Order: sequence, then structure tokens, then C-alpha cells
Amino acid sequence: MAMAALRREGRRFATPLMSANPANTLRSSLLPSEEQAILGVRSISTQVVRNRMRSVRNIQKITKAMKMVAASKLRAIQTRTENSRGLWQPFTALLGDLPSVDVKKTVVVTVSSDKGLCGGINSTSVKISRALHKLNSGPEKEAKYVVLGEKAKAQLVRDSKKHIELSMTELQKNPLNYTQVSVLADDILKNVEFDALRLVFNKFHSVVSFMPTTATVLSPEVVEREAESGGKLGDLDLYEIEGAETKGEVLQNLAEFQFSCVLFNAVLENACSEQGARMSAMDSSSRNAGEMLDRLTLAYNRTRQASITTELIEIISGASALTG
Amino acid sequence: MLRHFTTRLLSRSIKFRPFSTNVAAASAADDAFVKAWRSTIPNLEPPKTPLSFMQPRPPAPSTLPSKLTVNLVLPYSSEFSNKEVDMVIIPATNGQMGILPGHVSTIAELKPGLLSVHEENGVKKYFVSGGFAFIHANSFADIIAVEAVPIDQLDSASAQKGLAEFTLKLSSASTDLERAEAQIGVDVYSAINSALSG
Amino acid sequence: MASNAAVPFWRAAGMTYITYSNLCANLVRNCLKEPRRTEALTREKVHFSVSKWVDGKPEKPTIRSDTPEE
Repeated sequence: MAMAALRREGRRFATPLMSANPANTLRSSLLPSEEQAILGVRSISTQVVRNRMRSVRNIQKITKAMKMVAASKLRAIQTRTENSRGLWQPFTALLGDLPSVDVKKTVVVTVSSDKGLCGGINSTSVKISRALHKLNSGPEKEAKYVVLGEKAKAQLVRDSKKHIELSMTELQKNPLNYTQVSVLADDILKNVEFDALRLVFNKFHSVVSFMPTTATVLSPEVVEREAESGGKLGDLDLYEIEGAETKGEVLQNLAEFQFSCVLFNAVLENACSEQGARMSAMDSSSRNAGEMLDRLTLAYNRTRQASITTELIEIISGASALTG
Repeated sequence: MLRHFTTRLLSRSIKFRPFSTNVAAASAADDAFVKAWRSTIPNLEPPKTPLSFMQPRPPAPSTLPSKLTVNLVLPYSSEFSNKEVDMVIIPATNGQMGILPGHVSTIAELKPGLLSVHEENGVKKYFVSGGFAFIHANSFADIIAVEAVPIDQLDSASAQKGLAEFTLKLSSASTDLERAEAQIGVDVYSAINSALSG
Repeated sequence: MASNAAVPFWRAAGMTYITYSNLCANLVRNCLKEPRRTEALTREKVHFSVSKWVDGKPEKPTIRSDTPEE
């Protein structure tokens, strides 16, 4: 809603610029040229500046409001993100972290936001996802995308729509919670075949910084393969398995559970980065609008003063012509 | 600072059996990834991986530690984080399982049931709905649950009502899915009832 | 346990571990004392829309939601 208003405002201040005069109105108001004065445009040029000042002020109000909204949303989501950080660590401690694992079927899960105006976080996710896709596709290997959020979908549709398998949106209608993300994770698992899932998201670091991150979740078969080959997961064989008849079954459950936990944290981290990035983007645009307003005020006052001075000179010289 | 720590770990872990918890083994995996990344995508920084945000864990000590370090994590909070306790009893699918310091490394699936944490000054009892527990050789125990609530927050009347309801549903269920759902209901509510009465 | 077969009964009925663990968690939440029960249940609301892609085109999205559409 706020964005629609912003767009409307943008259009409003763009039109007088384009229709009134091909020359830059701002500059023409600063230096009223000869012919403009003759045509009597001088009073209109202050009008144009006044209009422009009003619209800049309105934009500033909107960006300030959006910044406040983002700040309060960030506070709420930041606590939840920090609370969820414990969730993935046990899995990494147990299963390690194998971004370099070489498998046939890779699924890149790109986490992005539904809404824009949040700096570069979505294009960062997309860039990283494309790179991971490139890294993991080849003659024997194939890679697919699962896209979360409108923004990454819009960017990936352009050049790799053939590789998109699933897209999911409207995640943030309710505050993010585990049940929601796990149902979503379940839907992903049911609909794609994979050997490795690579989640791409922006990890929240602070309001001004976020870190593009990729987390890897392996399928139970690959975990078993890696454990048996004695590679980096060789230690897994040292663990006793309690609870089920077969090891494969426990690994299956474990992989599913791992994916939903890792995805939960990823979605939260990304949402947190989104709000942070939006907050700083809105902060800088409010500041920008403020500076613009200062410049416009200066130009406006100068023009007004110039016209007053000219009028005074006209009156005085007229009066002196009469007396003299 | 972190790098110092890693190198220290690296030098120490040579003496011990390498564990999946230690940084040395996994940072090698990272290197391969970073290398592959740089050769394919030269103009983009490789993304971080979760391991770089992990607090490194100590390797297994040579002597038996006197305390067990427990992490109990839920999606919306961390109940315990690196808490040192005497013993925990977890509801593994094969029955209650007590874990003392120095327990053999285990991956255990949890069923709905009672989780008790024995500290110096008393016992804390939780009801967990299910999840996993990993016991590492360095006397670290990670317990991940979808839901865990202190036992005194459970309402025994609604548990009994639920049990009756689902027992009825189990007998009238027609499809496999309905039967399984009813069976889960019966399992969970009888576990709650026995946890509350016990 | 109810079943001693190689596959647990819930997987035999077509559930995944995620569905199973969510069902269990939800039952436990239902058993909490008020006000925690309402608190926990309102926290865990599901809503998202998912669409499958076939040959580079999205199919009609399905809404997964447990709150009725307004």
C-alpha cells in the first residue's frame, strides 16, 4: 500500500518535469532566462518548484513511515531469528557441512522476499543461486530451482524458467513459525527428487549488513554413501543408532527433520535481513529527500527574492523617471 | 581470533580421533568448495556456509568429564544452551534412555514422552513431542524437539479427554491415514497421561 | 509401540516425518493450560501459496492455509 502511494507520488512529481518544459525546471527556476521572463513564466517557475517541494516532502513522509514499520517488524522478527539459531547447529555438528559434495541431482532452494524496496538482498540470493546452479550442472548432473518469494521468482523467470521446479509465495502473511515452514519443507520434499538441497539465503548480521549463505542438506542415500566411503562423514559410522529397525530409516527421518529445521532458520534469517535492508534503504531515501528538499527550498527562496528585487527595481526606476 | 582457535583445535585434534564436530575436518571441505567456486565464478565472492557461524566445539577429552553439556533447542527458543548437567533421561523410541557424561556417541529418535534433566539442585521435567537427540563423544548432548513444555504446564483433564476421543476415533477409522492419525493421538495422549501421573 | 514392522505405522500410511512430528507437537500444544494453549496455537498458523512448474510455466497456485480466506 505504501509502495503504491510512493509510486503515485513519483508519477506526480515526474509529470510537471516532463510536460511543462523540456528544459530542466529546477535549473530554469534558478536562472530565469530572458524569453521565460518575457512570456511571464517566472511566477509559474516558483509554482513548479513549490509543487515539487510538496511532492518530495510527501515522499519523505512515506519513506519515513516505511522505515518505522520496517524497524518495528525487524524487532519482532529479530528475536525469533535469534531464538531459532540453535536449531541448525546440532545438525551441522553431527552431519558436518559439505558444500563441495558432488551429486547428480541438486536442488537450489532460493529464499527471497515477496516485497521489494529492500536493497540488494534478493538480487544477491539470485546471483548466488545462479552460480550454484552453474557449479552443479553438467553433462551427468542436473540442477533445479525451488523458489521462495516473488522477487527471486521474477528474476529467475527471465533466464532459467526451464529449471524452476516449484515456487512458493505469500509466506509472510502470518508471522513466520515452525509449523508453516515445515509444511512448506514437506511440500518441497514431496515434489522434487534430490541428492542434495542447497539453500541460499541472507544471514542477518546487523541492520546494515547481511551475509549471503548457502546451507547444504543431503539426502539419506548420499549421507550413507559418504559415511561408508569414509570421507568427511566417516565419523557418522561411529554413532550408535537408537530408535528404529534400520539405519536407513533413521537417516531418512533425520534428513527430513534437518531440512525443515534448516529451512526454518533460513527463512527467518532472510526475513530479518529483508527488514534490516528495507530499514536502511528507507533511511537513506528519507535522508536523500531531506537534502533534495533543502536544495529546492534554497532555489525557491532565491527565485522569489530575485523576482521581488526586480519588481522593486522596476517600481523605483519608474518612480524616479516620473520625478526626474 | 577465531582463526587462532581453529589452528589450535587443528593441532590438538591430531592427537585425538577426529570427530564430525571438530572444525579441522570440515574446513577442508570448505576449501574444496571455495576453490571450485572461484574457478567457475571468478567475479563473485563465495557464499558463507553454516559452519563458519558455528561455535567450535571441543574435541573429546581424554579423561571422563564429570558433567554433560546439554543443548535443548526448540524452533522458537533455546531452552538450554551449553548447560552443564549431571544426567538427562530422554524418551527414545525404544524406551527411556539415561545419558551420563561419557556416553557412547548415539543418534536417537525421540517419541512423545518425558524428558528429565538432572541438575545439581533438582530435576527439571519436560514433555517433548518428538525430535532427535545426538550424543557426541565429547559429552555434548544435542536435543532437538518440535515442542517441549515443562510438565506442570500440561492440563491432565484435557489429556484424558483427548485420549478418550482418539481411542474412539481409532476404532471407527476407515482409511490407513485416519487410523494412523488416531494412533498418533492415542500415543501422544497416553504418553502425556503417564507422564503426568508418574 | 503399536507396530513392529520395518516401517513405522505413520510412514506406512503415507506421512513423512515432518507431518508426523507436527501432528505430535500440535497435540501437545492442545493439551497446554490456558493461556499458553491459545498462545501456542495462534503462533503456529500456516499460510502460503505453492505452484508447480512444468516446462517453464507455472501451474495454477494452490493455497495452503488453515485460516479461511477473507
